[in-house]
Amino acid sequence: MNRERLSLKVNGEEHFVETYPMERLLDVLREKLRLTGTKEGCGEGECGACSVLIDGKLVNSCLVPVAQVRGAEIITIEGLASEELLHPVQIAFLECGGAQCGMCTPGMIVATACLLKRHPHPTEEQIREGLNGNLCRCTGYMRIFQAVSMAAATESV
Amino acid sequence: MRSDPAEYTFLSPASLAEALDLLRAKPGNWLPVAGGTEVMVQYSAGKLASRNLLSLWGLPELSEIAELEDSFRIGGGCTFAQLREHEAVQRFFPMLATAAAWTGSIANQNRATLAGNIVNASPAADSPPALLAYEAELELISAAGTRRLPYDEFHLGYKKTALRPEELVLAVHLPKHYESWFTYTRKVGSREAQAISKICIAGAGKLKSGSVESLHIGIGAVAPTPLRLRHVESLLLGKPLTKKQIAKSKLVLQDEIAPIEDIRSSVQYRRQVAENLLEDLLLTFALSGEDPLTSSVTALDSWNDLDLLTAAEKILPCCSSVRWADRMANARPIANLDQMLEVADKTWLELSEQDWNEAFRSHPRIGERKAAPVTSQSAAWSRNEQSGAAAASEEIQQALKAGNEAYETRFGRTYIVCATGRSAEEMLLDLHRRLRNTDRTELQEVVEQQRQITRLRLRKWLGL
Amino acid sequence: MILLKERIVGAPVLRKEGVAKVCGKACYIDDMKFPHMLYGATVRSSIPRGRIVGIEFGDEIPWNEFVIVGAKDIPGENTIALINRDWPCLAADLVNHPEEPVLLLAHSNRHLLVKAVAAVRIAYDPLPSIHSIEESERGEVVVWGRDNIFKTFQIEKGNIDEALAQADFIVEGEYSTEAQEHLYIENNGVIAAFTPEEGLTVWGSMQCPFYVHKSLIAVTGLPEDKIRVVQVETGGAFGGKEDYPSMIGAHAALLAMKALRPVKIVYDRTEDMTATTKRHPSRTRIRTAVTRDGKLLGAEIEFALDGGAYSTLSQTVLSRGTIHAAGPYYWPNVRVRSKAFATNCPPHGAFRGFGAPQSLFAIERHMDRVAQIVGLAPEDLRRRNFLRKGLTTATSQEIREDIDLNRLMERALEISGYQNKRAKYDRENPSSRQRKGIGFAVFLHGAGFTGSGERYLNSLAAMDATSEGKLRVLVSSTEFGQGTNTVLCQIAAEALGVDYDAVEMAPPDTSVVPNTGPTVASRTTMIVGKLVQSAAIGLRQTLQSAGLLQEIWSSEEFCVAAKAYVATHGVLRSESRYEAPKDVYWDDEKYRGEAYPAFAWAVYVAEVTLDTVSYCVTVDDFVAMQEVGRVLNPVLAAGQIEGGVVQGIGYALYEKVQWQNGRMANGQMTNYIIPTSQDIPPIRVCFEEMPSSHGAYGAKGIGELPMDGPAPAILNAVSHAAGKDFNSIPLLPEMICRELSPSVVSAEVVAL
Repeated sequence: MNRERLSLKVNGEEHFVETYPMERLLDVLREKLRLTGTKEGCGEGECGACSVLIDGKLVNSCLVPVAQVRGAEIITIEGLASEELLHPVQIAFLECGGAQCGMCTPGMIVATACLLKRHPHPTEEQIREGLNGNLCRCTGYMRIFQAVSMAAATESV
Repeated sequence: MRSDPAEYTFLSPASLAEALDLLRAKPGNWLPVAGGTEVMVQYSAGKLASRNLLSLWGLPELSEIAELEDSFRIGGGCTFAQLREHEAVQRFFPMLATAAAWTGSIANQNRATLAGNIVNASPAADSPPALLAYEAELELISAAGTRRLPYDEFHLGYKKTALRPEELVLAVHLPKHYESWFTYTRKVGSREAQAISKICIAGAGKLKSGSVESLHIGIGAVAPTPLRLRHVESLLLGKPLTKKQIAKSKLVLQDEIAPIEDIRSSVQYRRQVAENLLEDLLLTFALSGEDPLTSSVTALDSWNDLDLLTAAEKILPCCSSVRWADRMANARPIANLDQMLEVADKTWLELSEQDWNEAFRSHPRIGERKAAPVTSQSAAWSRNEQSGAAAASEEIQQALKAGNEAYETRFGRTYIVCATGRSAEEMLLDLHRRLRNTDRTELQEVVEQQRQITRLRLRKWLGL
Repeated sequence: MILLKERIVGAPVLRKEGVAKVCGKACYIDDMKFPHMLYGATVRSSIPRGRIVGIEFGDEIPWNEFVIVGAKDIPGENTIALINRDWPCLAADLVNHPEEPVLLLAHSNRHLLVKAVAAVRIAYDPLPSIHSIEESERGEVVVWGRDNIFKTFQIEKGNIDEALAQADFIVEGEYSTEAQEHLYIENNGVIAAFTPEEGLTVWGSMQCPFYVHKSLIAVTGLPEDKIRVVQVETGGAFGGKEDYPSMIGAHAALLAMKALRPVKIVYDRTEDMTATTKRHPSRTRIRTAVTRDGKLLGAEIEFALDGGAYSTLSQTVLSRGTIHAAGPYYWPNVRVRSKAFATNCPPHGAFRGFGAPQSLFAIERHMDRVAQIVGLAPEDLRRRNFLRKGLTTATSQEIREDIDLNRLMERALEISGYQNKRAKYDRENPSSRQRKGIGFAVFLHGAGFTGSGERYLNSLAAMDATSEGKLRVLVSSTEFGQGTNTVLCQIAAEALGVDYDAVEMAPPDTSVVPNTGPTVASRTTMIVGKLVQSAAIGLRQTLQSAGLLQEIWSSEEFCVAAKAYVATHGVLRSESRYEAPKDVYWDDEKYRGEAYPAFAWAVYVAEVTLDTVSYCVTVDDFVAMQEVGRVLNPVLAAGQIEGGVVQGIGYALYEKVQWQNGRMANGQMTNYIIPTSQDIPPIRVCFEEMPSSHGAYGAKGIGELPMDGPAPAILNAVSHAAGKDFNSIPLLPEMICRELSPSVVSAEVVAL
């Protein structure tokens, strides 16, 4: 199979990449676009460290052949906010101690942003379910739940 | 990442027709992939056998949910997220919505498809038990056309299905008639989310007068394929759902399933928990029956479990014929009140005149206290039933006494009337009317009255 | 200077590197790429033990494009030096465990590299292998040394034999724990680069840059000033990156030295799970002598660890486990005999707790059983036997602080509603399908290296100022989520009298920072923190002596002063070296004396539900109460406890390594089960503070403490719920099912 030229819309920008259609979206983001915020933790779709949004839906990018996202809107952690202007979810994670080693954090924050779009004032059950595909080994989740609640209480999420 | 993307051909046909043409041109060459939550895991691990993938992701022909007259048609490409969020699926097929919510994680649900889950044919897959319980029908399509296949004929063996190399699962059809049915589904995994089933069960059923009118049970992860528990269903169909039946069904279950030891769990665990789940399902099913009060079922259940002699003894006060009591005890198990009354009537009416008389003899005269009560219980009930007479004035009571005597002279036995709710005046009128009956007519009347009394007493005994 | 009330220490200041982490800008090793970089991979053994008789390279691969390194190519010693030198960097002719590294390959094409690894075919003459403590103990097959024993210890106090003879009750029990995988979300990874002029540099995910540095000296044969090790952002470690980075670092270094190009080795999840270290499995046998009113007279404890194929850190894990085996109780008489055994699986290594979770599990399960046999409530038995000021531990260390474990326990039991719940569940369980239980564990954890360990480490910390007036902490202590950067900057800022933002961490680069010892053993805040505190004071005093500071100063003024000093003198630097406390004495021979400068104390309470349909246990509520000296950052401290509790819940109920002939068969996240967000209870964390003189601002170490309590508390709760004793972890539903339910036999078909 030959490489193809694909147009990808990532964080609001259009990118053209030369890639095999079976490259994992995760690898295209990290290697070709040098957006290394999205991480590989397992390669099996279990840990959620590779979570991105595709057309507003939370997806594990390690399981997506890049050919399938032609024309789709992809948002990664880099697209949520820059260092100058943090997203309310990022602020909440900072204040509450929701990030320790930081490896699960990009995926966790993307999942949180997605959760809050679906449930702007989530119950604890909804928070737990919304993050059930993002494994964290450091925090024990408690401060992440607090961060989600805090972000929900902030307006304009 | 243990595979080389350069070695894979990946085509994204623009339409279903194009995909089917490709499949027809080279059957067996292509591995269709939709959401990729299974295929891409194998690919990452370097274990994907096929090098030629055909993407079905996003094909509109595959991702619709449509309501038809008698059924719902769910496109094979519908994601689990779509299924769980769809109002009609939640309403008509709650077990399927639940199964979709159990699968993996939110992120995986956004990609995993119903057809993918079916065609991947893992015996532990989340949707098959519900699909089996709802008696789903598959609509398979190839370039040559479509065909239908009952879902329970789809799995032929471990990871072997009836899907032909050039075919795709176009849609899953689910009949619409389950709205009033009892449903129960439960999954047991290693943790609350992102867990492959160790056992998964789904059951849909209907009770009628305490008997099992319909029952479909699907179970996963205890055999090489998802399984419909036909033998268990056969055992229970058309019969009252009692504790004894449930106990029997557990034995039948053990012969019907064939769990293995694997990386997730053991044979002993799967067998034991499958049994526990079946029992929980059936008990919940039984309690969902037409009689809303669980206490009567419990009292009845206990009576059903007694030995013959004790059971006869217990029911005797309701109608003081030993033969009646004996026959009632032999008619067990009896599922609920409706059935009890039906059987009681039938049994009473089939008795000989001798047995009837035995029953009649136990009643005290209306307004009097003495008879030959067979049991203290029937005596107490008699007192209660005749309370109307007890409250009457002195004059009426005298009239009743005279009437009783007249009746006994005429017919040779005590005047019996279903006294509950009747006043003394009403009973007097009835007595005098019946004094004019022929023997035969009067026998019919008194048999009828006893029948009514027995029914009342049965209700009281069962707490209804 | 006017003494200010502490304004930074004790405050929940934000994580130093937090913004980068929440923006996805933090740079981990796999985010780094160098020009002309090659990728490296490892060819590993497929058998548990045997002799290599031949290696074939498949024709399908263009081998001339590859850099290949085998044992014979190692320029220095074929060993990864930790304590002993028995751990080969690459197997030469013998392999002693599955996944043992044999060959290293490098190529620029990652995908071709994977195929190349698969194309190397190694032929073996298999040898008998052993896979359990029992097999190793029997000694029929010897796989290490003369008798399979890496190390033994013995602790004696009083006369245990007499105590056993005098007892009213002798309670015996056996308790076991299995291996646990760290499952940090970031897999092991390193990049190495070498030029003959500049020498070798290794960047990587690691806890201890100087450990890696030391190991590289032996393997490469390079002089120590020609080796530089740099820790980069590390995505979780828990001890799993204390020892192993020396191995993967050596591998990358060897390839880089041969290729003369940078080489990156990053493991995928399966390789990391199957090839790297895990927590030591354990078996503990306890015999206790107790009076009829619950006074503990003595204990005889046999503690055994499975160390895997090479000794690595087994002796220190054994040491800590041995010292903690007696728990937080006063034993007038005790004997602890411990052994670490060799088996043929990948060597086990450091994991948060380091032997204490294993031995404390045993003693705390045992205490509940002793209580039951003597006829006391579990809390009453504890209360009669706690350590307190003036009493001595099993190693005869006198407790010098006024710790009131009874009060700590009372508080924990009160907050959790223990008494009422215990009675309620006793009443309701017989008729319920969801059986509930509540149980607790009392424990301690020694902070810092054992005995003379800290003296031996001889740690050095420093502070300096840059020419811009930025103040830096120079330590080899690393950040991997636990808050090192934040806490050490807080301490420095406090001691200097400047703002938190005025202080930063110098890069954890062995060519820049002194050796402050490894980031392990719950020592960083306590011991390194104290060194940072004194180095900061030294820096401040230098400026004061130079007349550059007034009586009181603002943060900005301080930085201006520092900048001025550097401009004049060229450098502003203050160092502080560890000094062992005078009153701490440890006998390495007899294993007696002051084992640790400070203990943290804790009581954990777990409430569980046991579902009798599925035999699944869920933890519904958890109270973690601990005395920790001083909480320097409440958010970070609570975060450590919560994270450790969840790892403990995993250890107790979910995480099982499935071994097949020494190889981990479930090396995928799908099959190795850790708790998700939907599996954990609310965790209520409470701190008490009795400042310790040994730690910075009174702090004791807490990193490992939360690992010790959850498993025994949970198993005590499950045993309560089930009305049956469970003494092994992980306690899976399958085991509960076996105990609680009659065996299910396949029946004949019933006539319908």
